[in-house]
This record gives sequence, C-alpha cells and structure tokens, in this order.
Amino acid sequence: MSVVNDERPVMLELRDVCLSYHSKRSTFEHGTHHVLDGVSMELQEGETLGIIGKNGCGKTTILRIMAGILAPSRGAIRQRAGASSALLTIGLGFKPQLSGRDNAILSAMLQGSSLQQAESYLSDIKEFSELGDSFEEPVKTYSAGMKSRLGFTTALMTHVDIMLIDEVLSVGDAHFKQKAEAALKERMGGNQTVVFVSHMGPQIHQLCDRAIWLNEGKIAAQGDAPDVLDAYNEFIRSIKNGKR
Amino acid sequence: MSPEIAEYTDSELPAAVLRRLRVATLTPKTICMKITQYFNLVDVQARMALKADASKYFLGYIWWLLEPLLFVGVFYVVFNVILDARRADFLVFLMCGKLPFVWFSKSVTQASNSIVANAGLIGRIDIPKSLFPMAVIQEGLYKQAAVFVLLLAVLLAYDYPPSWVWLWLLPIMAINYLLIMGCSFLGAILVCVQRDFGMLIPLGMVFLMFTSGIFWDVRTLGDQQMTDLILTTNPLAFLLDAYRQVLMYGRVPDIPLLLMVALGCGLLVVFANYALRRGSKYLALKALTA
Repeated sequence: MSVVNDERPVMLELRDVCLSYHSKRSTFEHGTHHVLDGVSMELQEGETLGIIGKNGCGKTTILRIMAGILAPSRGAIRQRAGASSALLTIGLGFKPQLSGRDNAILSAMLQGSSLQQAESYLSDIKEFSELGDSFEEPVKTYSAGMKSRLGFTTALMTHVDIMLIDEVLSVGDAHFKQKAEAALKERMGGNQTVVFVSHMGPQIHQLCDRAIWLNEGKIAAQGDAPDVLDAYNEFIRSIKNGKR
Repeated sequence: MSPEIAEYTDSELPAAVLRRLRVATLTPKTICMKITQYFNLVDVQARMALKADASKYFLGYIWWLLEPLLFVGVFYVVFNVILDARRADFLVFLMCGKLPFVWFSKSVTQASNSIVANAGLIGRIDIPKSLFPMAVIQEGLYKQAAVFVLLLAVLLAYDYPPSWVWLWLLPIMAINYLLIMGCSFLGAILVCVQRDFGMLIPLGMVFLMFTSGIFWDVRTLGDQQMTDLILTTNPLAFLLDAYRQVLMYGRVPDIPLLLMVALGCGLLVVFANYALRRGSKYLALKALTA
C-alpha cells in the first residue's frame, strides 16, 4: 500500500518507536500506559503527510516525538542533521494580562526568533490576524475566535524545515478559516515538509498527499490519502453500527 | 537520568549519535548566537511576567517594595514590639537579613514549580528546561534591585556611613544569585520528577528562615563553636551575615569562606544545569504525564 517515492530524500524516519510511561493511580500504586506501540514511518522532503485517528490514538504524541520534545522508550529516530522542526499549535503560552503584541513577540521568540526578528513580524501578524486596535489590548479581553486568529498567525510566521501541525484549523469563523487554509496551502505547496494531524477526514483529504491512520498506538494503514481515508471511514462506520 | 532515554535498540544512527553530529556542526559564532538568544528570551520572559503581574493588582509595581517591607514589618512587630529584641539597631539589622532572605525564598519556591507550571508550553516546543526557572529568577532579580536601593536609602537615613567596603555587596549579591539558581534548578527538577517534593519546599523555607539568623544574630549566640558551625554549614546564614558585616559594620567578609560558598554554589549550578539538559526529554514526559 506504500507509495514511498524513493527519489525524494528522507527528512525524518521513525523505526519501531514505542512510548510508554508510568502514571500514578492512587497512593503507592502505578499503572503503565502504552501510547505508541511499534510505529515505523518515513517522512520525505517536501511532502505533506496527514495523520488521522480517534482521540487518544497517539497523534499528538507522535508529533511530540518528531519535534524532539519527547524521547521514545524504545526504537530509533533518524532526522537529517541540522534539520529543524517545530510543532505549531495555536495559543502558544498566551499570557492573558499581556497585549496581543507582547504575546506575539513572546510566541515568536519561544519558537526561535530573535527579538529583532520577532518585532519585524509584528506588522504582518497584526494585518493577517485582522485584530486591528485590539492588537494592543490584553488577550484576556479577546473572544475565543480572536485568540485563535492571533495564535494561528504567530504560528504561521515561524520558518522551519519540518512543520508539525496539530489541529490548527479547528477554530475561527468561516472567513478566517478559509484564509488560514489558503495560507497553509501556500506554505505546503512550496518545498515545505509538513506533518498534519487531524481527526477530520476532509481536511486531510484536501491538504495531504499521503496519510497514516493511527489506531491505539499502532499504524492501522498508510499510503495514498484517499485510500487511507476510505479505510478509516469504513472503520468509523463499523463502530457506529456496533459491529466492533 | 532515565533508562527510557538511553535505550535505543537498533539503527545505525541512534538519536544520541545524531545529537553529537548536530553539535559538531556548531561553530563558535552560532554558539554565541544561541547563548545571546537564550538570555534575551529569559530577559523578555521576565520583563513580560513583571508587566503582566503589575497589571493584575491595583497597586501594581508598588508591590515590589511593599511586599518585602510588610514581611519586615511583621517580624518587627513580633520580635521587637512583642518579644523585645534588646537592640537599638534592630530595624536595620532585620532588614539586612530579611530582605535578601525574601529574595531567596520567593525565587526558589516559585522557580521550583516553574517547569510543572509550564507543562502546556513544554508539550509544544523543545526548549531548554532551565529557561523556566531562569525566567522566574530573573524576574526576582529585577524586583530585588529596587529593594536593595531602598535598603541603602534606609541605611543612609539611619546614619550608616557609605564606604568602599560597600562594594563587597556586588560579589555577595552575585553569590546569592548563584545560590538561588542552584537551589531553583534542583527544586524544579525534583518537583517535576516527583510532585511530592512540592510539599516539602515551603517547609524547607520555614526551616531556613529560623536557622539562618534573620531575627537573631549568629555572632552573639554565646557559643563560638555553634556560630562557626552555622556559618560554615548554612551558606544562606553566611551570606546574610556577610550583608550585615559589610553594610552595618563596614567589615570585609570572611574571604576564604566566601570563595568556598561561591565554589559550592557554582558547582551546584553546573551540576543541576547538566541534569536539566541531559534529562530534558525525560522531564518533558514527566511534566506532561505525571
């Protein structure tokens, strides 16, 4: 089922990656959680890979491993030397008392920009997020939609070799959603390598060349996005019909 | 720090080797840029936290001075008005000890919780975990600068003559800062690995408050052996006494002991920073899941 194009160089490879951890249940009692179980996959330069699965299937964890935030308990990761990767999520540590401007500076710096670079992004961020004068107001006065607009825009400003995206398009009004999708598509269309996580099939279908379906920490299917989505949808239907 | 990180079973290029490869590509210039970037980020985070904090309260920035002064006020009422401290200079004596102690205790307590408190951010970016305690420590330093100016003003108002010996304040404050860093890093690691330590840190601060000679004088215990024991085993008691020797009596602090404390604090910082770097991913997992 794999459609690996061997001409493209590999950016990132996971081989037999497992992640499990101990967690507290009650006094003196521990339980072990297995989040990922023997996941092997490759990410090629310039491709957009979608990861789909139910809540709790390990989607976010696999992104965290790719971003170098977590180390696998077992297995190996190969990443091209010097390639940078970042996980983009909306609302990166927003401080509600600070203005949109200050939060944008902080977010950009946390994602690796220098203070000067962060300040140079500000006018673009203000314009794209359409916050207007609210940009100077504390974030605690923002509506949920305004927060997500600011969050998405600051995330979009980072420049990394591998962009890891965790459900960014799930909020915001219809107009901004379209604009955000268009901006993302533009980034993805270039030579940007992207991993895109979602529990919504249509988004993966629209944006991704290749997809992986994760189920209970294991890869259930991988290959061309439409094929994987068909298998996933079939599975969801079978749950709804109570066959499983 | 944990077998979970070290256990790479197969592959010609395990992550540990890759990490080494990546380090090898760093030039002195990029290392300098990384370090500047790190300290800029610490500075911006600290200043933004101060701004956010000030906007929360009606009295805003006034709290920087008001809070430590209220601490001094409470101690003054208890130990001078109620218990009679029997010394004319008690207010200045108390301020020289209490103000640096509040700096230490507030910074370390808050920094110890900083990694756990930033779990949301840790789940999204791979950043050095020392950044979180450092931002808290830097925030404390900015506040403390204002407090020290106030302390010097009080000394002048009470006719303590300024002298060149006061310049010893700079190394003493620097060592105090190192002690805060070392204890904060260690505390942040412990609380992240096992939340239970979070219960012990405030208790430890109460213990230090009673044993570091804040409202009593280490030098007038009447038992020279006990004085020496406290000054050599409790670096905080030594530093608080050094502040008093310099500011109140114009005496140079015990230099060999000062150097020993500096060395000890420096080693603690290096060791704890190494642990924070080495165990970065383990700490991230702990912060996210424990």
